[in-house]
Amino acid sequence: MTRWLLRRLVLSLITLWLLATLVFIITNILPNDVARTILGPFAPQESVDALNERLGTNDPLPVQYLRAMRSLITLDFGNSFQSGKPVMPLIIAAIGRSGLLAAFALALTIPIAIFAGLYAGRHRDQKSDRAIVLFGLTFSSIPEFVIGTFLVVVVGVQLHLLPVLATPPSNAGPLDLARFLLMPALAMAIVYFGYIARMTRAGTIDVLESDYIRTATMKGITTSQTIRRHVLRNALVPTVAVIGVQIGYLFGGIIGVEKIFNYNGMGQMMLFAAQRKDIPVLTAGVIVIGIVYMLATLTADLIIAWMNPRVRLETH
Amino acid sequence: MDYSRLDRVRRSATPMELDLVENFAQGKITRRQFINRATVIGLSLPAIGAVIAACSSTPPAASAPAGSPAAGGSIKVATQRPVSIDPVGMQDLSGYGMVSQSFEYLCTLNKEGSDIDKGLATEWTPNADGSVWTFKLREGATWMKDGSPFTADDVVATMGRLVAAGNAGLKGVIDDKSTKALDASNVEFTLLSPNGNFPYLVSVFNPQSVITPKAYETGTTLDADPNGTGAWKMDSYNPSTGAVFSRNATWWGGTTPLDSLEFLFFDAVGPQVTAYQGGQVDCIVQFDVLSGEGLLTDANTNVIATRASTHRQIWMRVDKGQFVKKEVRQAFALSLDRPKMIDQLFKGRADLGNDHVIAPIYPYFDDSVPQRTRDIEKAKSLLAAAGAPTISATLHAGQLLEIPDLAQLVQSQVAEAGFNLTLAVEALDPFYANAWCPSDPTTKKATNPPCVLAAELGIVDYGHRATPDVYLNAALKTDGDWNSSQYRSPEFDSAFGDFQKAIGVDAQKAACKTIETILNEDVAVALPYWYNYLAGSSKKFQGIYSSALGQMFLSAASQVA
Amino acid sequence: MATLAPTVDIRSERAQARRESRAVLFRKPGFIIGLVVLGMWAFLAIAGEAITPYDPFNDFAKGHQPPSAEHLLGTDRLGRDVLSRVMVGARDVLIVAPLAAILGVTAGSFLGLIMGYYRGIVDDLVSRVVEAFLSLPVILVALLTLVVLGTSTLVVVLVVGILFTPIVARTVRAAVQSERQLDYVTAAKLRGESGLFIMAREIFPNVLGPIVVELTVRFGFAIFTVATLSFLGVGIQPPSPDWGLSVSEEYSNMISGKWWPTFFPALAIASCIVAINLIADALQSVASE
Repeated sequence: MTRWLLRRLVLSLITLWLLATLVFIITNILPNDVARTILGPFAPQESVDALNERLGTNDPLPVQYLRAMRSLITLDFGNSFQSGKPVMPLIIAAIGRSGLLAAFALALTIPIAIFAGLYAGRHRDQKSDRAIVLFGLTFSSIPEFVIGTFLVVVVGVQLHLLPVLATPPSNAGPLDLARFLLMPALAMAIVYFGYIARMTRAGTIDVLESDYIRTATMKGITTSQTIRRHVLRNALVPTVAVIGVQIGYLFGGIIGVEKIFNYNGMGQMMLFAAQRKDIPVLTAGVIVIGIVYMLATLTADLIIAWMNPRVRLETH
Repeated sequence: MDYSRLDRVRRSATPMELDLVENFAQGKITRRQFINRATVIGLSLPAIGAVIAACSSTPPAASAPAGSPAAGGSIKVATQRPVSIDPVGMQDLSGYGMVSQSFEYLCTLNKEGSDIDKGLATEWTPNADGSVWTFKLREGATWMKDGSPFTADDVVATMGRLVAAGNAGLKGVIDDKSTKALDASNVEFTLLSPNGNFPYLVSVFNPQSVITPKAYETGTTLDADPNGTGAWKMDSYNPSTGAVFSRNATWWGGTTPLDSLEFLFFDAVGPQVTAYQGGQVDCIVQFDVLSGEGLLTDANTNVIATRASTHRQIWMRVDKGQFVKKEVRQAFALSLDRPKMIDQLFKGRADLGNDHVIAPIYPYFDDSVPQRTRDIEKAKSLLAAAGAPTISATLHAGQLLEIPDLAQLVQSQVAEAGFNLTLAVEALDPFYANAWCPSDPTTKKATNPPCVLAAELGIVDYGHRATPDVYLNAALKTDGDWNSSQYRSPEFDSAFGDFQKAIGVDAQKAACKTIETILNEDVAVALPYWYNYLAGSSKKFQGIYSSALGQMFLSAASQVA
Repeated sequence: MATLAPTVDIRSERAQARRESRAVLFRKPGFIIGLVVLGMWAFLAIAGEAITPYDPFNDFAKGHQPPSAEHLLGTDRLGRDVLSRVMVGARDVLIVAPLAAILGVTAGSFLGLIMGYYRGIVDDLVSRVVEAFLSLPVILVALLTLVVLGTSTLVVVLVVGILFTPIVARTVRAAVQSERQLDYVTAAKLRGESGLFIMAREIFPNVLGPIVVELTVRFGFAIFTVATLSFLGVGIQPPSPDWGLSVSEEYSNMISGKWWPTFFPALAIASCIVAINLIADALQSVASE
């Protein structure tokens, strides 16, 4: 078990390093004068030159690469070009806020999607199954910001049920917070429902058709409790895998949702940094999300391994 | 007309003051313009009052406050996310707004939001020809950080910093030897050449001219070292979410009715309007008509509409590229449908621009230059005469307020005359750095002359200024810091010089007439409109006033009971 | 000892299967609906301004008029007819998205063929790089790259296409691996055919099924991604009536009650992607039967 875990960890780290290198390649094609961008067109040339020295933008590429690698290891990405403040605390705070929204979205999606998937799998090819699959298929292919737009128009503007901007007042209690975050969370939940439900359904079908269950049912041994426990355990394997992968897509889709609902999370920060060419913030954001994704898939794999011992023993 | 009173003022007046008084007495300028100009040139209040009293029969009525103010409370303000809150280096309106809560100007904004008033200076007087100005400083103002008194040394140090930083308003007007402290409460400015508008250059209309303490280090942002002589002290600043200010109990202006201010940062106007309409903020620092249409007709909103000199310049390179020939530039200007633009973008809340930078709100604006109107036939014939019946070019613009929409309208309007434009709209910072005045890519230094790498064609924004000096100096003068057209006209430079030396409304008006005629003819920049600056606040608050440069003054604001 | 005869049998069997699949395909209602909707947008993209009621770029009426008899879907903030803009908005999306999808599928298939056939070190190394690519949401990397290189249609196609390559590669690799074990491949190897020949002539035609499905799925995702990038402001630029761009220009006006300039482009995006996904799903179910 530990050997498997170690192997997974090492692979994750290699992938992370490749990711950081990829980001470095992208950001160092950038053909602009960094200090001039920060200080503006009217600053005296001496200040611009001094800042470029300080930022090290004139150093040869290998030196810059080593510096990038060191910042990856220490998780210190320097200061934002825009505000001059350290990047990491800003990112951590933003990820915390986005994480809250994402957690809310997942809390909405996962129970409903799993339940729907199990139900669909057990009533295969019946009307309810078709409906669930169609619903999941349709909505998982619509961009989150489009769903968000519909929600705002229908629920916010026409029906006045929920606040249109996700900016809860600073002293909001959990119920208030839920009210403000419900629409953006719902926008994401509707999109991710499809993937998770279909995965659970596929897993359920697989299990129900397995020889073991068939034999047991024929012999009359199994109780619905046994079926449920066994089905659940195995149907959830692909589901957990999918959820792990979804975490990564979640942070991509969250940009659109945060823009529509003006939520001050990771997505808005990245968008703003992109517009201002604030490279440290962008780099840190992309890598931190990469790390989150890696942790999510690692956790997902751990859960799967715990649920299904065969996976642990399999050699790749 | 009470001539005896008038004569008393006349006898003690300097030539500049005399000229102004005469113009008012003869009805050449309105009372409002007289008061404005008189304040600028430092005519004392009693003198102003005497002149007005002499020339009219009814005294002006005092205005009564709207509702009864309630003490205490906080106000939430929506503003564009500031790019920089470094008092010397800031360039965006949002930054100006932040910094002006804590730091103050020698000449601040008057309560009507239209002109300057006593700030950290209580009196200012020029010498005979306006080349030396003496400012009397306010007593009793202190620095909120340590309680030390505000003195002339602070002013001298501030001016030195601004000169070193190349401040656009003061460049060429003062140098590092100009400012002298006569004593703790008096400062003398010896200008490089006479300038009748000098007080404006150390006022709220030159936003970076806030007075910072003597020991201040250039580059310190407001949040790094919260200080100032103003009404509000910065408690916290988070570039992602917003800032909080609380009352400065030691402010010279007294106790502010409100206890605190909370600024919330947004990246676009749309969400600000949404937040305001949702009751999540109480006022908006600046909005544009297209995004905030609903606010203009909202019964619960006070709209602060300032007829301002805020404008857009569509610059065209006159030294190389396809716009070198004057005929081409004139054709471009003739293809613009200005009234339609004003209708679509501002629902009428703007003045027509005539391709020169003298705004109609200035008292010395000369209206004898015929307003250019749309004439596609003439545009086509001009292009044909220039040998280029069709022109394909890229129009650059930054994402700010209505500018992306203006770009789309321009593209559509000039297409009829034969200009095929491709749009290149990007965020403001990269636009300034890449299209407007880029630095030299090989040496990575600023170019000499400035802006020589500017794009062929682009739209740039200009905020409100109480006098056109900055526009003339920076955007159009040979080797001006913001001269993206690379316009080089000895005639214009000389006319500008005349304007600067001109004393009195008549002389300034004559100089402006020459300037307007030259610029309208040469079309170094096409200037379609001067739009009203719009700010809004909920009727739950009163006493808010704002400059047209993003500086919202909340020291007299209070909740309506 | 393999002879030519069994290989021909497998091939003709497969041809027969493909014909049957096509018949089944056209009987599926999802497939038909998807084809009709997509066809409509493709037609509008081609016909463009010829059939729009107003000029989508230069016809300026009164701004923000609600849907009426004159303007069926209302006007936007500058007074342009929303219906005309939605109709022409199909063009940019239906040019950029398919190009990106084709680029991604072509490069991905190539990579997947190599990875699946050669296995070993090549496969291991490339798989690691592929995983690195996959660990990032496409939108974020696209955002970063578009910021660095500047936005242009070409860059959008390249970025989205390249970011799709790893996903396609993985699918094709799996398909190639299962084909690789079949007899006809062993037969070709024994015949002494080169690896390239086997990949191109033997394996490729037989993984065409999954590749076509992948192409359709990627097409849907490409529209998804391009629309999102335009919405975020780093994709297609004004004054294009691109749907994602239209939503981003007008969505903040929704609270003042002006819902139509946002709602209809959003509906267009949704309908297009759903149509493609219906087609893809039908193809997939037929392919797996």
